[in-house]
Amino acid sequence: MNPPIAAHDLGRISYREALELQRRAVATRAAGACGDAIYFAEHEPVLTAGRGGQEESLRVPKALLRARGVEVVPVERGGDLTYHGPGQIVAYPILALADLPYGRDLHRYLRDLEEVVIRTLAGYGLPGSRRHPYTGVWVGDRKVAAIGVAVRRWVTFHGFALNVDPDLGHFDWIHPCGIRNLGVTSMRALLGEAPARAEVLARIRDAFASVWDRPVVEEAPCLT
Amino acid sequence: MPVTIVVPQLGESVVEGTVGKWLKKEGDPIAKDEPVVEIITDKINIELPAPAAGTLGKITVPEGTVAQVGQQLGVILQQGESLPAGGGAPAPAGGAAQGSGGPQRPASPTQQSPQQRPQAPPSGGAPSRQPEPARAGAAVAEAPFGEDQRVSPAVRKLLKEHNLDVSGIRGSGLGGRVTREDVLNHIEGSRVAAAAGTQAPAAAPGMQPGRAPSSPQAGAPQPTKPIPAPSFTAPGTREEEVVQATNVRKKIAENMLRSRHMAAHCSTWDEVDMTRLVELRARMKERVKSTYGVNLTYMPFILKAVVRALKEFPVLNASMSESGEIHYKKYYNIGIAVHREQGLIVPVVHDADRKTLLQLAHEVEDLGNRARSDKLQLNDIQGGTFTITNAGMFGATASTPIINYPEVGVLGVHLIQERPVVRDHRIMIRNMMTLVVSFDHRLVDGTPAVQFLHRVKELLEDPESWLLDSI
Repeated sequence: MNPPIAAHDLGRISYREALELQRRAVATRAAGACGDAIYFAEHEPVLTAGRGGQEESLRVPKALLRARGVEVVPVERGGDLTYHGPGQIVAYPILALADLPYGRDLHRYLRDLEEVVIRTLAGYGLPGSRRHPYTGVWVGDRKVAAIGVAVRRWVTFHGFALNVDPDLGHFDWIHPCGIRNLGVTSMRALLGEAPARAEVLARIRDAFASVWDRPVVEEAPCLT
Repeated sequence: MPVTIVVPQLGESVVEGTVGKWLKKEGDPIAKDEPVVEIITDKINIELPAPAAGTLGKITVPEGTVAQVGQQLGVILQQGESLPAGGGAPAPAGGAAQGSGGPQRPASPTQQSPQQRPQAPPSGGAPSRQPEPARAGAAVAEAPFGEDQRVSPAVRKLLKEHNLDVSGIRGSGLGGRVTREDVLNHIEGSRVAAAAGTQAPAAAPGMQPGRAPSSPQAGAPQPTKPIPAPSFTAPGTREEEVVQATNVRKKIAENMLRSRHMAAHCSTWDEVDMTRLVELRARMKERVKSTYGVNLTYMPFILKAVVRALKEFPVLNASMSESGEIHYKKYYNIGIAVHREQGLIVPVVHDADRKTLLQLAHEVEDLGNRARSDKLQLNDIQGGTFTITNAGMFGATASTPIINYPEVGVLGVHLIQERPVVRDHRIMIRNMMTLVVSFDHRLVDGTPAVQFLHRVKELLEDPESWLLDSI
C-alpha cells in the first residue's frame, strides 16, 4: 500500500501563523522527520502576493485595505495576488516531490491539485474545468479555486484555496492572479446555498486520496 | 573544482523559468542543499538547493532574467578555489546556443565577460549542441569526464567554443592539467600575436573578417573635402535613463488605452467670453476667502454650468454597456482631473446638482488637496458620470481630452486670457477661454454635443441669468 498522507484541519487561523507552520513543516519534511501531510485552514481576510505579484493587480488603495485590517503579505509561492478570507477552504499539501509517482514534474503537480478540486466539485454536481494557460479551477468562466505553489528542498508548500462561501465582494480588491475579465465565484453562488464546510473538507480529503492513490488519514501535525 | 548551479528539469512542459530572488549573495558561504536561488514558473516558485557546499563564487544570471532548463545560473566555489581571471563563468551554457541560432533564447550579453565576447567565433565554430539538461533532481551540471580526462567540462566547453585542441595548450594545473586560465591565456596570446604580425585583423583566428574597414573602389573619383562638422555638436552619448513605470502610471496607461479603444472619440470646441464671470468672481473672491476660508476658483461655476447643461442634454451624462444598454444617469457625479506628481487622478464630486456654489468650491479644493497628498478614499474616485479637465492650469489654450471611459463626455477648460474679439463691428478686449468637449460618438451625435457645449458657453457668459430660476 502507498504511504499515507496525514491530514489536519487547522480551522480558523491567521495567514501569517499558517505560513509559519508551513515553513516549519517543510523543514521537518525535508529533514525526513515527518511524512507527507496536508493542512487545511480558513483565514481572516488577507491578500497574499506571490513572486509573480504585480501591485497593479491591486484595485484599491493600500491605505484603504490597511484601514480594514487587511494585510498584503508577500509570500514565496508562484502566482500573483490572491485573496484569502472566511468561507474559503485552503489546502496546504506538504509533500516530498520525489515520493510522488511522477517525481519532480511541477506542472503535473499543479494539474493534480486542479484535479482534486474538480473531483470535489463533481461531488456537488458542479462542472469544474481548467482554463489553459491559467492555473486554477473554473466553473463556466468564473474561477472557483486559486492555486499557487512553492517548493523548498523539493518539498511543496502553499496550495489551493477553494471558494466555498466567501464574501465575493472582497475579490473586487484585486484582479485575481492578475487575470482580468474573468470573474470569481463560489460554491454557494453556484449551488444557491453554502455546503457544510466539514462535508467539503471530507470530499477534498477523498479527492486527494483518489488522485494520488494514497490513504489520507486524520493526524495531528508533525512539526518536531 | 567549482560546481555550477543550473536550472534543473522541472517537468515535461517546463522549458524555462525566471530567476526570482538570489537567496545568497556572491561570497556567501553555502551548505549543501541549502536554498540558493528561486526559479519562478507561472504558478510555482522553486528554491533550488545548493548542489554542493562552498561559497557562492559568481551569479551568472541576475534576478528577473529568463533562464532555460539546463542553463547555468551561478558557480559554487569550494575551499581554496577562486574564480578564474576575467570573472567569467566556467561554462556559460547559454553562450553555446548563441552561435547555433537555435530556438533556445541566448543568455543576455551582460552574462558574458567582456573579454570573451570579441573572441567568440561568429558562426560555425561554435558547437550547435544544446546544453545538456541536468538530470531530474540534480541541480548540478557536472558532466562525467569523457574521452579526455585532463580537462574539466568547463574547460572542454571553452575549447570547443574556440575550436581549439587541448594538445596545443600548455597546462599549468595539477599534473600538467589545462585550466580555464590556460585556455584564455592561449587565446589572448594568439590574438595579440596575429594582430602584431600582419596588421590585417581578418587573419587573426576567430576574428570577424567583415570588420575590416572597406576601402573606396579604385578608379572612383576621390572626394577632396570631408563633410564639415558644426563646431557646436558635442559627441553624442545617447544617454538613456531606464525607469520602471510605477503602478499608478501603468494604471493610467491602461485606462487611457481602454478609452481610446472602446470609445469613438470626437471633439468640438467654442470660444467663451468669460469677462463677466471674471468680474463676478473677482468681486466675491475675497469675501468667500475671509468668511469661509475657501478659495473661490472658476471650477465651481463651471461645475454648475455643466450640471445644468447635462440636465438639458442627458445623453452626455449617460453610458453604454457592451451589451448595448444605455444608462441615462439621473445623478450628476462630476469627475475633476487633478495633476499630481505620481500621475493624473480623477476625484469625483458626487451629486454636484444638489450642492451650492460654496459647497462645490470647498469640495473641489478638498478633493484636490487630498489627491495630491494621496489621501483619497476609494469612494472619492468612483461613480463618475462626466468629467472636467483643466489643462488651462498650466497654460494650455486648447486640448482634446480623452474621455474617462465608460463616461461619454469630457469637458476641457483652458486658460482665460485677454484676446481681441469682434463685437458689433468693433474690436474689443475680452477675457476669452476655449471650451472643448470630447464625446463618444458611438452614443452621442454631433448635434447634442455641440448644443451641450453651446449651452455651457451661454451659462458661463451670462452668470446672472442663473438667478432667474434659482431664487
